[in-house]
Amino acid sequence: MIDNKLLEQYNYDEFIPEKFEPWLNFEASPPLGQSGPDFPLWNLDNTETRLSDIWSQFTFTIVEFGSFT
Amino acid sequence: MNAIADRYSEQSVGSIFLYTNEAHPGEYYPHLTSMKQKARHAQDLREVLGVTRPILLDALDGACHRAYGSMPNMTWIFTKAGIPIYKSDWTDALSVENAIQYFLEVGKRRRSGERMSGFQVERIDFRTQDQEGFRRGLERNGPKAVREFYTAFDQS
Repeated sequence: MIDNKLLEQYNYDEFIPEKFEPWLNFEASPPLGQSGPDFPLWNLDNTETRLSDIWSQFTFTIVEFGSFT
Repeated sequence: MNAIADRYSEQSVGSIFLYTNEAHPGEYYPHLTSMKQKARHAQDLREVLGVTRPILLDALDGACHRAYGSMPNMTWIFTKAGIPIYKSDWTDALSVENAIQYFLEVGKRRRSGERMSGFQVERIDFRTQDQEGFRRGLERNGPKAVREFYTAFDQS
């Protein structure tokens, strides 16, 4: 089920503290040394994959999170 | 980060760019409302900003990004078993390369028969602040992105 409120809040339309600060949750991120959570991801051609499909291919996998902006 | 991906790819080090929400939406690159738009912005990341690593899209609601702390430009390193062994709340190529060199060296020591056990370490790394480059990036997003950033941090 699509949570439209979550979509709107996560994809905030203005860089103002009330909108971006709630998402800065690095201190609550998963601990090192324990299995990381796995999620579906999409290639640019819209084919689906998973984070685990990526990390299972290599001894180490570097994942940079970010956007154009 | 592209250079690191190239330098270590033959040592079984994979590198991806995981596309999230827009940190500084502007008139030219507004906030995301569809996966189609997200793919279009990601394509520009490759064509305009020159990211050569594979780019993967997170779900529109940022499920993966949010689960890992949703910082705008963080980097994680995972083992083949999916265990995170490095996390950084900001991406700095020197820091990442320092970590990957260390982990590759640990692998060599293990293969040579050295008995090793892991331990936790915390440290503060340092990155260069390229204020002019950052401003140019905001301008690429649109005047709104420039205005909102400097208003949020009360800078001119």
